[in-house]
Amino acid sequence: MQIPVIRNILEANEKMADKVRERLQQRDILTLNLISSPGAGKTSLLERTLRDLSGKFRMAVIEGDLQTSNDAERVAATGARAVQINTEGGCHLNSDMVSRALDKLDLDGVDILFIENVGNLVCPVEFDCGEDAKIALLSVTEGDDKPEKYPLLFSLGKAMVLNKIDLLPHVDFDVAKARAFAAKLNRELDILELSCRSGEGLDAWYHWLEKTRAGKKHGRSG
Amino acid sequence: MHEMTLVQSLLDMAEEELVRRDCKRLLLARVEYGALVGVMPEALHCCFEILTRGTVHENARLELVRLPLRLRCPFCGVSFGEEVQDVLNIPCPVCGEFFGHIVEQGKEMILSRLEAS
Repeated sequence: MQIPVIRNILEANEKMADKVRERLQQRDILTLNLISSPGAGKTSLLERTLRDLSGKFRMAVIEGDLQTSNDAERVAATGARAVQINTEGGCHLNSDMVSRALDKLDLDGVDILFIENVGNLVCPVEFDCGEDAKIALLSVTEGDDKPEKYPLLFSLGKAMVLNKIDLLPHVDFDVAKARAFAAKLNRELDILELSCRSGEGLDAWYHWLEKTRAGKKHGRSG
Repeated sequence: MHEMTLVQSLLDMAEEELVRRDCKRLLLARVEYGALVGVMPEALHCCFEILTRGTVHENARLELVRLPLRLRCPFCGVSFGEEVQDVLNIPCPVCGEFFGHIVEQGKEMILSRLEAS
């Protein structure tokens, strides 16, 4: 028997992601899904952000990791609320894992929720976790052709954050080239350059967070 | 290896469709996937075989169709794809605009046909 169907393979994940989004929307929480390759500095960016903005926003973190709780401990040391998801070898977070993590997280008064995905530029991109926006994090110790090699992430992201710019004098990373590739498929992509180590560029990132958070609140009331 | 997750959700969907039509056994599933989607066909086939082995669906066939990338220029509106070389890296072949090309085809992952008995 022939069965004609047209169904999105990811529909179960996307339905759950919509539920997660609705749940976070009700509490007016801006949710950002942080995606990068391993070692680009996701946890470092969170540590700095959580410390520096602790007086301004209440923030929480869902930490995705293959095995350890090292990152969750680093994040919790800043005083932010954090919950760990161990994927036990799984290469990405999905909306069901995030939904279960939310059950364990005290969301009262939270303004911004960060989801730190598993370090991987391919798999996490396909799985909507219920976030408002994906952030693509890249570092200058990687190839400047990453946006070209992983176009889906950069085409779906709201912002690209280029980390470790303090190392630019020592590496061959071509910032203009990376920017151009990233903007090829995404004209609206906001591109920020910073160093979690030296602190350079962090103000612009914090401003971006404030603006995005305000835009979301405004969008809701309007 | 997100292919395992994808094949599992594909099989869950196929199961739903089979039950709805009083079918027992899956014979074929066709999946169309866009060129930007990061899946490896070999891995999908391998996961499909592993997940159907020892079940009533053992020996079912997975047919994969790759959908080529198509972009549309936001300025002149022309649509271009794999008939031009290196579609991801070139400016619009008509007006030369480099930025903001819209992905018309390339992000999909669709279950598009089932055969069952």
